[in-house]
Amino acid sequence: MNTDQLIQSLSANVPAVPRRALGRRIGFGMTGGAIITLALVVFILGIRPDLHHAMLGFSFWMKWVYTASLGIGSVLAVARLARPTPTSLRWVWLLAIPVLLLAGIGIGELASTPSSSWLAMWLGQSWMICPWLVLSLAMPIFIGLLWSFRRLAPTQLRAAGAAAGLAAGAWAATIYCVHCPETSAIFVLTWYSLGILLAAGVGALVGPRLLRW
Amino acid sequence: MQQSEAQLKAWMTDGLDGDAVAHAALLRALVPLLRSFYRRRMRGADDDVEDLVQETLISVHTRRASYDRERPFTAWLYAIARYRMIDHFRRRKVSVPIEDVEAILVAEGFEDATNAQMDVDRLLSTLSPKQARAIRDTHIDGLSIAEAASRAEIGESDVKISVHRGFKALAARLRGEQS
Repeated sequence: MNTDQLIQSLSANVPAVPRRALGRRIGFGMTGGAIITLALVVFILGIRPDLHHAMLGFSFWMKWVYTASLGIGSVLAVARLARPTPTSLRWVWLLAIPVLLLAGIGIGELASTPSSSWLAMWLGQSWMICPWLVLSLAMPIFIGLLWSFRRLAPTQLRAAGAAAGLAAGAWAATIYCVHCPETSAIFVLTWYSLGILLAAGVGALVGPRLLRW
Repeated sequence: MQQSEAQLKAWMTDGLDGDAVAHAALLRALVPLLRSFYRRRMRGADDDVEDLVQETLISVHTRRASYDRERPFTAWLYAIARYRMIDHFRRRKVSVPIEDVEAILVAEGFEDATNAQMDVDRLLSTLSPKQARAIRDTHIDGLSIAEAASRAEIGESDVKISVHRGFKALAARLRGEQS
């Protein structure tokens, strides 16, 4: 096909693109994935029976604020990396703030707990499966983001993949909170973060391949 | 004819609002820009250049949502063009000599390029048409001596001599302008 014909066929179909199209596209992709993740948690894992009660307590909100703040920060990074023009990502280090805050809470917890029960507090009841559940639950959201990227133009594919994995992991962990009965800060700091980081690692690994366009 | 950043951006925003005519005008105006962008970097693989131009037009069309209306259009365009070229090399598993990488990665200063082009046009207009054409073909459009010769229907040595004399005259004129 010569270039003139190509231009003609391309301009035969010119749908309007709203101003906030990029944010909307990312939002749709993530919401679509998150609905599936939520369905998996509700129907397969089950909502923790004492959720109403737990929502009044500190530890539930501590977990939620931690995972959601990581989620918000990483979605902003995804939005930056979805444009082709190079942008500074130095502010991504701000994501260390929630981690440090949670570590502070964890140290406070350890200080007020006898050292004989530290191990039980750290491992909880689900340390062996928690990271893997977070990683698996991240997959629908990650796939949703892959769909979002199809109309966007990432040029740093590994970074974009890592950011998408991080966002998917953080939001999956946020949803997982309605199931997970663990309460200690060092549990969340270790095992939730591990699951989220695994998701980011998988994203960085597959990004260059899956995000190519 | 190269369009200004303002005109390209206006077409782009109209296209984003659903104006198919503006969108077509934009894509048509991008063709010469992209051709010279790739020609300067690909060194005479004309089929590849045309493939890349078309692929880039398709990317510009399908990934319009990634353009931020608050930002310069040409920066977005050349970021896409650069990605397309790197992907092209990756697909062909072509390795690029390290000294060429700089030429690939160099950011396209549209404003600078336009100004520089105006200077070049002004200077070349002071030469004889034959010399101006020889310089334009071989040093701006990136043709080889043989291609330039067959296009202008003159001998290869004639092209070389025209380029040489043209540059000499330009150098003399520039020295004269400065003193």
